[in-house]
Amino acid sequence: MSSQTVLYQPKISEVLRNINKVIIGKDEEALLSIVALLAKGHVLLEDVPGVGKTMLVRTLAKSLDCDFKRIQFTPDLLPSDVTGVSIYNPKTLEFEFRSGPILGNIVLADEINRTSPKTQSSLLEGMEETSITVEGEAVPLKKPFFVMATQNPIEYEGTYPLPEAQLDRFLLKLKMGYPSAKQEMEMLNRTSGTHPIHEVQAVLSREELVALQDKVEEVYVDATVTRYIVDLVRGTRNDEGVYLGVSPRGSIALMKAAKAYAFIRDRDYVLPDDVKYLAPFVLSHRMILTSEAKFEGSSPEGIIADVLSKLSVPVQRNVSE
Amino acid sequence: MNLTSDRHQSFYQITIYLCGFLLFMEWLMPLDVIGEFNNVSIFYIYAAFCFFISFIQMNWMISVPLKLIGLLFILDGLFIGERICSGGWFTIVYDQILYNIQVIQSQQWWDMTPMFRSLLFLILLWLMSYLLFYWFIIAKRMLVFVVLTIIYVTVVDTFTVYDGKWAIIRTFILAMVSLGLAHFYKEMEKESISVKSLRVTYRWVVPLVSMVILSSVLGFASPKLTPQWPDPVPYLTSANPGAGSGDGPGNGPVQKVGYGENDSRLGGGFIQDDTPVFRAMSQDEQYWRVESKDTYTGKGWEDTLEEETSEVTSRDLEFSTFTDDVETEERTSFLDFTGEANFNKLVYPYGVDAISRFSQDEFSENLSFQLHDNTGEIDTFESGDPVQLEEYVVDYNMPSFEYSQLREADEEDPEEIVEQYTQLPDNLPNRVVNLGSQIIEGEDNRYDQAKAVEAYFAANDFEYETEDVEVPEGNEDYVDQFLFETQLGYCDNFSTSMVVLLRSQDIPARWVKGFTGGELTQETASVEDQNLNVYEVTSGNAHSWVEVYFPEVGWVPFEPTQGFANNADFYTEVEQSDDGETSTDEDGETEDTEEDNSENPNQAQQQEEAESDEAAAGAGDDNNWTPLWITSALLIFLAAILFFVRHRLMAAYLRRQIRKKPGRDTFERAYIFLLKVFEKRKMKRHANQTLRDFANQVDARYQSSDMRQLTYHYERMLYRNEQGSEQMSKVTELWENLIKKALS
Repeated sequence: MSSQTVLYQPKISEVLRNINKVIIGKDEEALLSIVALLAKGHVLLEDVPGVGKTMLVRTLAKSLDCDFKRIQFTPDLLPSDVTGVSIYNPKTLEFEFRSGPILGNIVLADEINRTSPKTQSSLLEGMEETSITVEGEAVPLKKPFFVMATQNPIEYEGTYPLPEAQLDRFLLKLKMGYPSAKQEMEMLNRTSGTHPIHEVQAVLSREELVALQDKVEEVYVDATVTRYIVDLVRGTRNDEGVYLGVSPRGSIALMKAAKAYAFIRDRDYVLPDDVKYLAPFVLSHRMILTSEAKFEGSSPEGIIADVLSKLSVPVQRNVSE
Repeated sequence: MNLTSDRHQSFYQITIYLCGFLLFMEWLMPLDVIGEFNNVSIFYIYAAFCFFISFIQMNWMISVPLKLIGLLFILDGLFIGERICSGGWFTIVYDQILYNIQVIQSQQWWDMTPMFRSLLFLILLWLMSYLLFYWFIIAKRMLVFVVLTIIYVTVVDTFTVYDGKWAIIRTFILAMVSLGLAHFYKEMEKESISVKSLRVTYRWVVPLVSMVILSSVLGFASPKLTPQWPDPVPYLTSANPGAGSGDGPGNGPVQKVGYGENDSRLGGGFIQDDTPVFRAMSQDEQYWRVESKDTYTGKGWEDTLEEETSEVTSRDLEFSTFTDDVETEERTSFLDFTGEANFNKLVYPYGVDAISRFSQDEFSENLSFQLHDNTGEIDTFESGDPVQLEEYVVDYNMPSFEYSQLREADEEDPEEIVEQYTQLPDNLPNRVVNLGSQIIEGEDNRYDQAKAVEAYFAANDFEYETEDVEVPEGNEDYVDQFLFETQLGYCDNFSTSMVVLLRSQDIPARWVKGFTGGELTQETASVEDQNLNVYEVTSGNAHSWVEVYFPEVGWVPFEPTQGFANNADFYTEVEQSDDGETSTDEDGETEDTEEDNSENPNQAQQQEEAESDEAAAGAGDDNNWTPLWITSALLIFLAAILFFVRHRLMAAYLRRQIRKKPGRDTFERAYIFLLKVFEKRKMKRHANQTLRDFANQVDARYQSSDMRQLTYHYERMLYRNEQGSEQMSKVTELWENLIKKALS
């Protein structure tokens, strides 16, 4: 019965309710962001400015009682602007480390494709590791550490598209999209008084969040489901329109995401449904299509849907194993 | 409480299963009457054995070998003389298998050996025991089988000589009991009532029993319509063209003219069959006698006298139906049996004396003749096995009966003759006796009395008919029906009636079977300086007639059948021609003019009559397997139905399993089966569809949440690796609901 009535893990449910107070019609994005957060991954938001990316991240940070840092990437931004820098203190006669925005809990990296690859990599390095190196010294990152990077798909001029290897670092890639008319009207109504973000209260402490992250790792993935994941990922590699398929890192990412999603759905085991649902978000930025496929109008999402439609869902234990 | 309900459960199962078994027995019972089964009881026993084994639900590793051993044991006892598993035994089995495989390959179905056919039949019994167990106990569905049984009994009753009157009553009672019980227990299960007290049971059992009794009695006692269509038996044809030529025992459902042995139930129409039986080369046309019968049962003829047999030699057959006082003439006939027929009795003319071979050789030393002293049946054996003589020469003394001798014969019959040959059934209607005395009124001697009876039929518009001939039903008497109701019939009707009419007046008479003279062919044969006519005798010439006993003379043949002439020779001595007949030589057939006239009229009719004889006698042996084929066909039909309800059966099986040992494996099977059933009901889960997705789809259709709930449990088991659900009873309930919906 629990599967029918209680849809979300209770704590997460509160977080979502918080976000819903501030941002209208972005439930799915909010949910997926939490998936990435719980799976210790990061999110790449690809969308036009002004659709509420910042607001989403800020609300999330506030709900979780986390540091929120924002980096606006510009072409002249330096890596040290991201990581921090040591400054000579004439009073103490010592170099003092002034930490950069990366040393926050939740980091919004706005328009990441506007800065130089060098600066980009200073952020991306930290995303995969638990620490960063500043002037030869390892500086541990905070826990939890969650990056939400955004990139603007329209303005190609003066941008440095992220290389594939870097894209791989993001657990999920989301698109926000415009709100519906009704949602937008509601949005206007809400912003007329005090902005609701000021009323947001933390519902989860940092410690609790870390504990939840640890719990996510305990979510059970049955062999039938891992098999399903592997078959799915291999399917993208074999598709005609794909130049470069999803790497094994993609499989791991999918499984991690699925675990987090199952957890949010208040389950301690992963369903093929979870995998199916997450596959486009986890896999689409991890594959490169052939020029022909692009020309014919294929998209990574389309190819994933195609592979999924050909893949049998495991409904029986594999007796032969 | 559990114990009580268990006891009730097993009581229920035993009762239901017993009903099923008894119903199945109704399928086998007709075989006894209409089939060539000498050992039907063995089949009963084997069926019971199989049913028992199925019921106690042994592991198949034990039950299969047990049934197999039983099967081999029966086949061994019936067909194989050798010690089981000895070298010879294997040789026989090997030969049988080899032969039958060839037969099957060449599709010569009729050539299968009895052993092989029995094997197939036993396997069928085996399968049925298995199927019925599932049907009755597991699926608790017996309506179809009950209906089939009723249909089967009615069909067999309608199309064969089997009398299904009691069978249908038995079937009805069994059906009521089993269906009532099944319904009772289904209701209990549905309402989850446990049978706690006997009082509750009584409340059910008493109405059930009274309903069964009431409706049986009502049904039995209430008036019923007479048959709405003519008896279809005559219109059925035999599947085998060779039918009727043989001497096979038993009475097939399809009557075809020919010589048969079983005359216990006469009547019914028959069809023509011109299969040649033998060719006779003789001077004149004459009747060929085979045997007589002594006891009239009201339905037909039986041979109830003690079998007195004696070995006779070919040179001296020592069988005479008349005394030495009768004039005879030495004659010789040649018989050739090389046709298709298989007839291991001697066919002989009146006055047979000796037989020999065409060539001068002696018969083989191994050949022996066994004479049944009472009936005159002579069986031929070679080294103990029945054998058919392909050709032989009969030397005989053709009798000529002198009228005055017959008329003046004294009427003091020996006691044993009176005892044996004036027998009549106790329930012979009085009007037959009255008619007998009316007919012979005014005739002062036995010969004229017999002639009066013989002539009665022609004088009273009795008609010769082969197709639309009634079979006496219930208590009706065969002769009574013919004399007073139908007045239509063939030789059996005429001859039996004449015997009965005579016996009713204490004149010893008996019923004789054989062949008429056959058809004169264009050929002539010159044997030993004699020019002989060649007659072809076919199955159609099988015939029955009457012999009347005259002290000092012996048995004199009479021919009451319309359109047939008595071939026996009668003459009047010139000096004694007291009735003014002109008289004459030995061949003077003056008195028999009627008969003579009818001798020519139509050969066809004669053949027909012959047929009739056979019809009465029963079909040839080839027909004897027909009931088996019908049974097989019906059983196959049954199997087909089982195939169509296999999902229901499987559902019932899984329901049982899931209750018996709830767990991951059974649940998985049950769930996957449910998916399969949904697929059959046009709700296919696509391979790429997740269970949850599909469950939503199903629930949307049925507007419930059962499938989602069930799927939730299944997912936990499958994707969470749970060994079983704690809420197995709930799961079971959900599954049962769904499967019910899916199957409905």
